Amino acid sequence: MSGFVLSVENLTRRFGGLVAVNDVSFNLRKGDLLSIIGPNGAGKTTMFNLVTGQYPPSAGRVIFNGADISGLRPHARAKLGLGRTFQISKTLTTLTTLENAMVGAFLKRNNLSEAADYAMHVLDMVGLGARAGIKAGTLTLSERRRLEIARALALDCSVLLLDEVMAGLNQKEVESVIDLVRKLNGEGLTIMVIEHNLKVVRAFQSRVIVLDFGRLIADGSPDHVLSDPHVVEAYLGRQHA
Amino acid sequence: MAAFLNIVIVGLLLGGIYGLVSMGLNLIFGVVRIVNFAQGELVMLGMYGAYLSWFLLGLDPYVSALVVVPCLFVLGVIIQRFVLQPLQNEPFMQIFATFGLLILFQNAVLAITRGTGYSVHSELSRIVISVGDINVNLSRLIVLATVIVVAIGANWFLHSTMYGKAVRAVTQDRRSARLMGINVELAFMLTFGVGAALAGLAGVLLAPIYTLSPQIGGNFILAAFAVVVLGGLGSVWGAFFGGFIIGLIEAFAGYYLSPELKHAIWFLVFIAVLIVRPGGLFGIAGAEEVGLREQD
Amino acid sequence: MNKTDIQAMPAGLAGAGAGGTARPKVTTFATELGRIAAIGLFFAVCLFLFRSDPFILNMMAYTFLFAALSTSWNIIGGFGGQFSLGHGVFFAIGAYTTANLYFHWQVSPWLSLIPGMILASIVAVAVSWPTFRLKGPFFAIATLALNEVAFVLATYFDSVTGGPRGMLLPFKAGLVNMVFTSRLPYAIIMVGFLLISLVVAAYVLRGRLGYYLQAVHLDEDAARAAGIDVLKVKLTGMAISAALTGIGGALFAMYLRFVDPPTVLNIQDIGVKFLLIALIGGVGTLYGPLLGALLIIPLESYLRATLGGTIPGINLLILGGLLVLFALFMRRGIFGALQGAWERYRGARS
Repeated sequence: MSGFVLSVENLTRRFGGLVAVNDVSFNLRKGDLLSIIGPNGAGKTTMFNLVTGQYPPSAGRVIFNGADISGLRPHARAKLGLGRTFQISKTLTTLTTLENAMVGAFLKRNNLSEAADYAMHVLDMVGLGARAGIKAGTLTLSERRRLEIARALALDCSVLLLDEVMAGLNQKEVESVIDLVRKLNGEGLTIMVIEHNLKVVRAFQSRVIVLDFGRLIADGSPDHVLSDPHVVEAYLGRQHA
Repeated sequence: MAAFLNIVIVGLLLGGIYGLVSMGLNLIFGVVRIVNFAQGELVMLGMYGAYLSWFLLGLDPYVSALVVVPCLFVLGVIIQRFVLQPLQNEPFMQIFATFGLLILFQNAVLAITRGTGYSVHSELSRIVISVGDINVNLSRLIVLATVIVVAIGANWFLHSTMYGKAVRAVTQDRRSARLMGINVELAFMLTFGVGAALAGLAGVLLAPIYTLSPQIGGNFILAAFAVVVLGGLGSVWGAFFGGFIIGLIEAFAGYYLSPELKHAIWFLVFIAVLIVRPGGLFGIAGAEEVGLREQD
Repeated sequence: MNKTDIQAMPAGLAGAGAGGTARPKVTTFATELGRIAAIGLFFAVCLFLFRSDPFILNMMAYTFLFAALSTSWNIIGGFGGQFSLGHGVFFAIGAYTTANLYFHWQVSPWLSLIPGMILASIVAVAVSWPTFRLKGPFFAIATLALNEVAFVLATYFDSVTGGPRGMLLPFKAGLVNMVFTSRLPYAIIMVGFLLISLVVAAYVLRGRLGYYLQAVHLDEDAARAAGIDVLKVKLTGMAISAALTGIGGALFAMYLRFVDPPTVLNIQDIGVKFLLIALIGGVGTLYGPLLGALLIIPLESYLRATLGGTIPGINLLILGGLLVLFALFMRRGIFGALQGAWERYRGARS
């Protein structure tokens, strides 16, 4: 066994002539917190969708706990323990907050009250316990992001993929979500985040990979990566490099 | 050979009818992204409009288009403004509402006419053109000519006029079109109006061919759905060629299998196309999903 | 709170919840059973009171039948959001299966409920498998077309269906034959069917499948990310819904003792009525379809009885109008409106 929870090997995805993800490889160990950054259109979300199975890869493999999952459909990957959130929150608006989390909790539990208890537990973990009884459609943006995290946690996922969970939040909300992500990571959950905000990436103080035009151009600590001339060029353009 | 040729002619003429009926449905779907289940009833109203114009004003059915088509345009604008615009982001309720209109129109006409069947005559529809063994009724040729003119006209309009370009912009991206200063609501109302007017035109032209009944819309709507699904939702040429394909299939199935099974044959074609190529032969892939995507 | 369950979580995550807020109540199947029992008791009293009024009994039989059918449609159409216009096909399958077995082999209709259910489910799954790829209006179109095809086939294959002449079932009164001289036993059977449908719908809604159907309805991508096999969930919901609809068709056939395509496959009178009743009562709610049927069926039979002779189509004319009005102004139906009023009332008090 390699000891990696998740390995991405030479992953490639083409849309017609466009290569959205181009020969990307990296590994995650249990308990890692990995940030993925890159300019708009660099292929970050496509990479997420390849890992969670929204699209099949054009080439390459995704290995999860030692097994090749490249051919599995999204729900089967979720069953194995891959939880995710979406860039635009997918809240089940006419259900209550608790019922949203229960949809996740039912994956490993068949009994209604067990699922409800477990859903309540994850809502407490993300700080939404007090909002459990209201319709999820009335939640604020930051609460919806937390709810999506709760729904993924309710799956008992071992790897959590967060797609720009901070986007559109104010400074205070960003800090509280950073704390939540750190807390979950501190409890042993392996987490992969797509992030736009470089401050957030610095705050995590953990490994960063950079995508540009679908290629992985840097991999390392935030300080190392953010001072890399290729990365600066990708972000700011050539004249600043 | 003569039989074969005859079937082809019958199929093409029928295809013209289906194509014409589908044009309005397709326009409305393509632009407003609404599947109008009541489109067949708009055709039916056009037919009764022709009858009413003849009965009250003594107009020849072909002349009555001048009265009926504008009326249907106004009806279409009203439907869009007061029924569908409030349901813009409620795809399920749109299905309910247009189906409600279907039942409403059909039974309103049934209640008014008490189920009496009417027929409309025109001097032109008595003319039969014969080439060899093949006889063609002039009224069916008029339908065929009209569908060609409408298809060319719609295509020219959408691609070469400023208004048409605005409509296509709305089709592709409502939000951006709105930002560009296009009045999306107005564009939808006018489009629905034109779609209803095309149904009215089809109704007028079909009035001399069919016996009028309140349920006749049902004969057209499934064929029209088959046509637009086959040709590709939102594509003018798709509806045009789709009409002929369905017409030919029906003519051949009617001759070689059984006339009663034509609906079953459509359905098989329809399901096969939906599965193999949901976007239709000429349509944009994924159009079947766009129908449900929220836009504002 | 189930302690063992919490301890079974990944070690790191256990105990992370701060204190544990009191969980809001979740309606359970047991609660719904109590409510359904109360409904059953109420209808039993109604039946007893009107036991010798054939007109009222007839109307009640139809009301309960359509309440049950709309409740069944609601499982896939309301909870699952798959707007089938083709449920008349499953209804017809139940009707023709029972009629044939009774007519040719004198099989008791009680027994032929089972093959009718199974056949309806099989056909439902077979036709839904490809059509579930379609969304919203396209699924509705495909199911509408399916109903048309079934009509054509039922008219064409007259060896099975009696074709356009239909099948007239012989009158041989008796419990085993499900044929009675009084209308009371029929009304009791229909109440029984209604209660069964409500119990099945409640069992679905208050369990994993119900949550999954609602998730699929609201957002398929979110459902997949939550580990839900979307197609499997839709097919399961459809199979259950179609099986119940098949029972309804069989009961309808035995009540009329006559089956022909215009009676069982009329899109406006059968297929659309299921969803119309559901919309008016409250789509996706457990008791909405029942409420809708309690309003619509008596209204319709009143209109038919008073005006039907002079103004043909008046009943459907009014139903069509109601459909448009409810879509515009009361999207959550009567049940949803009552629920909203109740919530406002409670909000105002606290």
